[in-house]
Amino acid sequence: MLLARNAEGLYWMGRYAERTSHLCRLLGGQMETLVDRPIREINFGWRRIYGALRRQPPGPAIGFGGFDDDFTLADSFALADDLTFERSNPDSVWNCFGAARENARQMRHCITGEMWSCLNPAYLRLRLQRLRIADIWKVEPEGFYARVSRDVDTFMGVAERTMYRDDRWRFLQIGRCTERVQLTISLLLAHVEEIMTAEETSDHDWMSLLRLCHALDAYTHRYGVAIRMDRAFDLLVVDPRLPRSLCCASDGAARELAALAPGPGPAGGAARLMARITEAVRSGWPPEGPALKDRRDRLRQIETRCRGFHDVLTAAHIRYDADEAAP
Amino acid sequence: MDFGAYEIDPAFHDEMFGSDGAPREHSRSLHEALGKLSNAELGEIQERVSRSFLNEGITFTVYSDEAADERIIPIDCIPRILPAAEWKQLEAGLTQRVLALNHFLADVYSDAHAIADGVIPDDLVYGCPQYRREMRGVTPPHGTWVAVCGTDVVRTTDGFMVLEDNLRVPSGVSYMIANRRAVKAGLRRLYRQCRVREVEHYGRLLRETLRELAPAGCGEPTLALLTPGVANSAFYEHMFLANEIGGELVEGRDLVVRNRVVHMRTTEGLRRVDVIYRRMDDDFLDPLVFRSDSLLGVPGLMEAYRHGSVVIANAPGTGVADDKSVYPYVPDLIRYYLSEDPILANVPTRICRRPDEMEYTLANLDRLVVKRVGESGGYGMLVGPHATPAERDAYAREVRANPADFISQPVLALSRAPCFVDGRPEPRHVDLRPFVLRGRRTRLVPGAFCRVALRRGSLVVNSSQGGGGKDVWVLED
Repeated sequence: MLLARNAEGLYWMGRYAERTSHLCRLLGGQMETLVDRPIREINFGWRRIYGALRRQPPGPAIGFGGFDDDFTLADSFALADDLTFERSNPDSVWNCFGAARENARQMRHCITGEMWSCLNPAYLRLRLQRLRIADIWKVEPEGFYARVSRDVDTFMGVAERTMYRDDRWRFLQIGRCTERVQLTISLLLAHVEEIMTAEETSDHDWMSLLRLCHALDAYTHRYGVAIRMDRAFDLLVVDPRLPRSLCCASDGAARELAALAPGPGPAGGAARLMARITEAVRSGWPPEGPALKDRRDRLRQIETRCRGFHDVLTAAHIRYDADEAAP
Repeated sequence: MDFGAYEIDPAFHDEMFGSDGAPREHSRSLHEALGKLSNAELGEIQERVSRSFLNEGITFTVYSDEAADERIIPIDCIPRILPAAEWKQLEAGLTQRVLALNHFLADVYSDAHAIADGVIPDDLVYGCPQYRREMRGVTPPHGTWVAVCGTDVVRTTDGFMVLEDNLRVPSGVSYMIANRRAVKAGLRRLYRQCRVREVEHYGRLLRETLRELAPAGCGEPTLALLTPGVANSAFYEHMFLANEIGGELVEGRDLVVRNRVVHMRTTEGLRRVDVIYRRMDDDFLDPLVFRSDSLLGVPGLMEAYRHGSVVIANAPGTGVADDKSVYPYVPDLIRYYLSEDPILANVPTRICRRPDEMEYTLANLDRLVVKRVGESGGYGMLVGPHATPAERDAYAREVRANPADFISQPVLALSRAPCFVDGRPEPRHVDLRPFVLRGRRTRLVPGAFCRVALRRGSLVVNSSQGGGGKDVWVLED
């Protein structure tokens, strides 16, 4: 038995934790490109990140079109700040980590003491340091993102080791997997859009995508060092052995949804929808056409199906009609 | 740690030292053990205790401070020791007091014999804002109106005195347990050596108490703790206690009343709730009965309660018995209901609704503490000796305008205990809040939340006003 509000809190805790970790990977990867990559690749990376987050860069003067090192680094500083510490950006690292921790604070009685003891000190370290972008910019900014990402991953690892496998665990996992599905689709779509519109691309663009998804080692292990678009896509979308593949994430959500006790709302709606999403990923891949556009269109179809998932889940288990559920 | 510069003032009882400066018998082990630690070592222990609170998120909220909504209560690592004999006296006195107050509540919401017999004035009871006419005729299980009581006890050179009863939503018990865990970890060898009585079974006792109060025939009752929500200053405690009693932590929006039965919304549908340990004031419990603008409560809760399908602990309306204006009558109420003399004394109190006592109060404003009857948490009071003439004049005008809203008490010489402040031991004033549970019978854990006025010379121990906490070690017999 799980209080509906607690289920929602655990679900959002999972989502925000996943989002924090994802953002840190994106930004950490981008910071690495600032060291030695050409300006074109740096701009490509920023456009891909902002496209994946569906966000406009802050202010009219800052954009992705820097033409020399000084401009590009100055813009990168402002963009990193926008995505890391900007309080008015709900999707900044600061706000996502804060939201994950706040959900954990409110749901502390639903998680294990070990989880709280892991997450809270990590959050407090970040808060008490009162860091600003200038502080992390001076020395190895990618180290900052790696630390935050590691803290969140450790938290989820501790959850995996200590949580009892009841509905509390399931809602946490459903949130986490759902978020991963959506973030992965958004990133892949943003990448494809950039590739399709770019005047010039390189293998590095694909390699950086694989790295952002923790998939570069897996790719080279399976396919060798030559990067091919279709292989990269297959790996990131349908390879069940890659933990961050789309298929693996939607499978994870579907598995936990199927194990939930039935809710009083529309019966099985959420589980059915996620099963359909999983099926669309598996059976619809690779698309019939070989072009990048075909892959983009298929991803868009999957994305459309994902959009309604949250409402279906909450209608079934959280915001149902009390009169209809009354004994 | 060197106590050489520690100041003993004969005007105050010191919890560790006698007036001759020698450690009291029950404190010798502690004194000796502290003496073997350097100030730096004790500083490390203090730091560890504070850090454990921070990391665990044991916090409270100060509403006036938007920047620091989550604050850590400062915990002093030097425990306060109570020998077995002193605890026995407190236990007996508190048990007696809670029993009498339960009798009083049952009486004023039914036949009101105490009023008819002239023990307490009728206008004082019926005019009290905390008196809930909606509770007339209600009989809670086992006559238990107050299931959880946190009584503030102080010690002066004359002995223990009750400063205040908290019968609505007393808080602080989670700090008692958290203090114990943190200090025990810091002073582990000493703790074992001192043979200290445990307090960590409080949650189990609370659960037993609440189960005893469950409506008849409900089998294994479903318990829930009703919280105003995460913004409440005691939210950590609510969460802690919900876990301890094996109940759900619910907000008003989680509960619905259907057919005069209270249910909570779960992911599998509605589930009946049998006992609600409420941690919100009466006013907010049910917008259909009390404040209609309450968004925190549950519409229909009072109807379900009166119907008997759910039990609310503490019962609504208990506030009339801990109102500051009723407090001076408690010793008489003990004599009236139990035919016993009070074991614990009250602080001598003057009620300003009586003209002669108001005049006395105004004439001695510079020597008295004056409190508003409706306030708590140390707010709205005047500590005469520490106030400026202008503050006293302004306060006097308020007393004259609404005398019934005020009581006065002498400034108490609260006992002091050594605290580790700025790297050395310094005396600070302390009080004690033990928690009494009453279901079918009375239960207490041997311990209390000891509040400390951390500012030098201050007598205000409230956590909202710069107070801190201390672990209390009740020793085995």
